[in-house]
Amino acid sequence: MRLGRYKPAPGPLLGVGVLLLILGFLAAYPLAMLLYGSLHSTPPGTPGEFNLVGYAKIFSAHDASVVFNTIALAFVKTVLALGLAVLLAWIVARTDTPWRGTLEVLITLPFFIPPIVTAMSWGMLGNPQVGLINQVWKAVTGSTSSPINVYSYTGIVWHMMQYSTPFLFLFIVDIFRAMDPSLEESSRMSGASKLRTFRSITLILMMPALTSSFILSFVRGIESFESALFFGTPVGITVITTEIYNAINQRQGPDYQYATALSFTILAFLFLLVLVQWRILRGRTFTTVTGKGYTPNVMRLGAWRWVTFGFCILFFFITVVMPIGQLLIGSFFRYMGFYSADMLTLDHYQSVFKNSDFWRGFRNTMLLGFLGATATMVLGSIVAYVSARTTWRGRRLIDAIAWLPWMMPGMVLGVGFLWAFAILPHSIPIYGTIWALLLAYVALGTPVSVRVMNGAYAQLGYDLEECSRVHGGSWFQTFWRIIVALAWPSFAVGWILTFFGIMRELSASVLLYSVGSEVLSVVLLKLWTNGAAEQVSVIGLMMMVLVVLFRAVQLRFLNRRIGMA
Amino acid sequence: MSAILIEKISRHFGEVVAVDAIDLAVEDGEFVTLLGPSGCGKTTTLRMVAGLERNTGGRISIDGRVVSDAAENFFLAPERRGLGMVFQSYAIWPHMTVFDNVAYPLRIRRRSRAEIDERVAKALRLVEMEPYAQRPAPALSGGQQQRVAIARALVFEPSVLLLDEPLSNLDARLRAQMGDEFRALQKRLGLTTLYVTHDQAEAMALSDRVVVMQNGHILQTGSPQDVYLRPQSRAVAAFFGVPNILEAKVTACRAEGDGRFLLNVQGTGWAGVCHAAQAYEAGATIHVMIRSEHFALADARDVPKDIQLSGKVVETIFRGAHCSVTIDSPAGPLNVDLSSLAHIKVGDTIALRVEPGAAWAISR
Repeated sequence: MRLGRYKPAPGPLLGVGVLLLILGFLAAYPLAMLLYGSLHSTPPGTPGEFNLVGYAKIFSAHDASVVFNTIALAFVKTVLALGLAVLLAWIVARTDTPWRGTLEVLITLPFFIPPIVTAMSWGMLGNPQVGLINQVWKAVTGSTSSPINVYSYTGIVWHMMQYSTPFLFLFIVDIFRAMDPSLEESSRMSGASKLRTFRSITLILMMPALTSSFILSFVRGIESFESALFFGTPVGITVITTEIYNAINQRQGPDYQYATALSFTILAFLFLLVLVQWRILRGRTFTTVTGKGYTPNVMRLGAWRWVTFGFCILFFFITVVMPIGQLLIGSFFRYMGFYSADMLTLDHYQSVFKNSDFWRGFRNTMLLGFLGATATMVLGSIVAYVSARTTWRGRRLIDAIAWLPWMMPGMVLGVGFLWAFAILPHSIPIYGTIWALLLAYVALGTPVSVRVMNGAYAQLGYDLEECSRVHGGSWFQTFWRIIVALAWPSFAVGWILTFFGIMRELSASVLLYSVGSEVLSVVLLKLWTNGAAEQVSVIGLMMMVLVVLFRAVQLRFLNRRIGMA
Repeated sequence: MSAILIEKISRHFGEVVAVDAIDLAVEDGEFVTLLGPSGCGKTTTLRMVAGLERNTGGRISIDGRVVSDAAENFFLAPERRGLGMVFQSYAIWPHMTVFDNVAYPLRIRRRSRAEIDERVAKALRLVEMEPYAQRPAPALSGGQQQRVAIARALVFEPSVLLLDEPLSNLDARLRAQMGDEFRALQKRLGLTTLYVTHDQAEAMALSDRVVVMQNGHILQTGSPQDVYLRPQSRAVAAFFGVPNILEAKVTACRAEGDGRFLLNVQGTGWAGVCHAAQAYEAGATIHVMIRSEHFALADARDVPKDIQLSGKVVETIFRGAHCSVTIDSPAGPLNVDLSSLAHIKVGDTIALRVEPGAAWAISR
């Protein structure tokens, strides 16, 4: 009988209070300011009146098409990405395709590449006039038409898929692995064929997880900014995030009230989606994941395993090798699109290294990455510990608030923070500084860090803690020598994940930066807008080097952790 | 002075009463087992002694020192109670080697390196795990993890050892072996031990005294012989196997001098003597418990005052060590364990006798 737990920790009330204050400032405060901004006719600090003009503007034919675009694009890309991800996950987890371990690493790599880098790269690859793909096509076929144009609906979906597919793959491959093989074996023993078993057992058991992955990916699609910014804006395709961005950045005199109203509306919509997800999944979580290490059934494909192998390699080639190749090519030739030997140059590298904007952006991104990832993980570890392993009053509230930014697109959180910082007294100078970005990053990263640390704590039985207590360890000694010592690999993995998140963040950064606090992604965007695609290639390549480096470190940690379990 | 003194301790979880005002004293060097089905409050009791859970009522003392007193709102944190404990999952810390696991309590107590080396080596030798000292903990089998957990609980020579179902994760053969080894160790070192299990065979084989619990109450405390052969209630009797309980009328009663009584009883189709813990008046209706293994096939040399029963064989199951036979007798169906060599077929009518001293009167 184990109904209660022994968990008196120092100062529960104080701890909960401090956490509520921090999380409230990071999540609830910008949300409140968003609501305020949407109802107030002028920016904070200036005289104005409360009205519904902002919301009234949303109900226009233009906005209807924006909303339709957003939902249709997100839906199409989610369906395609989910199908592709299931196929890839099945190949990696359940077939005898050669080098599956390596394939898994390769397939998940695009997830870690900043979308802004691939967007720019594909902007060069798929440009209808000078794009490399079209040039090759013309050279090979002799035709004069350009088959590929990324500046289109297809281009947006395609670019979003490159990020979504590995994201979904990461979830689904684990579901395939965690399934008890005896569930399938008993279906086979009952006389069902392989295909029938896959349809009536495997797929149905995976349904709850697939549904939740689908909604998750759909939400991410609606929040997506880069794809539509790069491939939609030039040809007049607008989605909600770019509409908000335009309302603030592009028009004659920013329309803040409209932007905040739009932000708040999309937030409400996403909140509804998440509620739907909860309702659908309630009581339907088949516990196929038991934490036991199963050896899943592996299907022998015979010669077909080279086809599946080729398919995975093709995915990697298109999503990683081609964009990086383009960056490499772009960085060494004088002008994008003119690729001949006499155009080779190292000038772009020199101009990037001489560019003080680049170095400032690099410094800022590194500083924010290190500080932000550390702060986010520390906060996430504490929140997860309090919500999962103490009986403190108020721990559920803390958990809920920490989770709030999860459904806020970076753009929306950016708008909220814009208001939140602007309204602070002048003695707290956050507005327009690098700290504004830091706070936004911590807020955006906290839900993931809480989840990662929750997972880490969940694997540690209470016995491990209790045993230390009984044998003389105080609360603090136990926390340090048992919990921290066991959870730190997860902390490190989460840290790197958060660092990636900060490095690739664009939508909140682009709203919150000011002169002096530009981050790398903002510098990239500015260069791109100024037509310096060659320098963009150089910086993009350097970001890729970082990505590969950090990913390698992360994989080492993951392997060690698996080896320990 | 008792090593562990539990006075009227209770544990309420909201409306639910997990442990209801239990009293128990464990003497120095004694091996006491809390036995009961899951949810009976045995683990909660152990955890309250450990300090991992707070008792909502009552007082707990260890070695004459009060460690928790609900009335005074006094609770000593678990780390300050100086106990050794073995958990059901063993709770071997996976990020440490065997040596580090065992050394942990000593390091917490800031002992010198030399002392730690010596004591850990001694503790590991005790459980025959010395060669494994530098192994990473996750590379151990279940039985080895259990030994490490015991070494860790013993290494700082605690006055009292607590064990929470330590054998339940082992397979049957290893369970018996580890149990016997631990009992030998406990006797050799004279350890005061409080042990929790739901396995009745384990409880009887290991303990000096068994505490049978149900629904947060103690049903009976006594030696393994007492609780098995002389249960105070039907519930205790039923906890160990499937006993035969026959209704009978008392015809005579006399005291035996050791606090027990000898009854002459008359049942349906049988009569004989049985023992009882209390006196009954002639004519009273009682229940007589006879364990299935205390039957034997009757023969002509039997003493007439032994209980004799006969009936028709309804079912036989060969179990290897014995043969389980169900018999339809005038007194009702009987579960009987006979020698596995006995040739008994369904439909046979057989005569049985009950071994002397096996019949026991249950009052409740």
